Amino acid sequence: MSDILRELEEREKEVAEMRRQNADWNYINTLPPRVRAAVILFIEKGDLRLSQKLSGLDLEDFIETLRKARVWIT
Amino acid sequence: MSTNAIADTSFLIDWAKYSKRDLLFKIFDTVWLPEAVLNELKSENTVTWVVENLSRGRMALFPELTYYREEALRLMELSSKYPVRRLDYPEAYCIAVASDRGYIVLSENGAAYTAQFLYARAKVWRALEVLLELAIRNLISKEEVYKYEEETLHSFPRKDLERIGL
Repeated sequence: MSDILRELEEREKEVAEMRRQNADWNYINTLPPRVRAAVILFIEKGDLRLSQKLSGLDLEDFIETLRKARVWIT
Repeated sequence: MSTNAIADTSFLIDWAKYSKRDLLFKIFDTVWLPEAVLNELKSENTVTWVVENLSRGRMALFPELTYYREEALRLMELSSKYPVRRLDYPEAYCIAVASDRGYIVLSENGAAYTAQFLYARAKVWRALEVLLELAIRNLISKEEVYKYEEETLHSFPRKDLERIGL
């Protein structure tokens, strides 16, 4: 179990790094504060539902925002 | 392999943008949609595709049942014991149904994907696994993954692509 956990944690770190590298900060910085904070939370933690709820957007609009920010990587 | 799947919103929103989206039904006879998923679909593109397939009988509504609701809550509690992303209710409900009925869960939610390796019996496929299955059946080439990424603006981790030989 600990090997699987380690592998999953490593995977999450790698995906977060990809999101950080791909992120279009020019776009992200134009977003309203609440949505911007939610996108940053998604970049760092990949927690889709929590980030979406924080954004105040419905799921489809939030994912569209992630696409535009080039961080829709799961 | 089961010919039934249960899909969450994150999968449908993405998959509906793919030009070869109907290939999904070459793998699954029925894609079940929990009631809550329908309420989350907003864009014309996604709604049109879902309604079309509901009317053709390739998609079907899965009701909210007390038994699976309880199981979903149990899975959510279980997920909080692991130092990875926690399950939320919509994905937990899909996993609860799929574990019991032998369906495959379709989800782009990382917590659902992780659950299958730790505490959930159900298999969880992202679009990547669906595309891979289509490639195995010679319905597309593996390189179609790149087209999917382009059309949906959804990227997959490079290591996952390396693992399938891309």
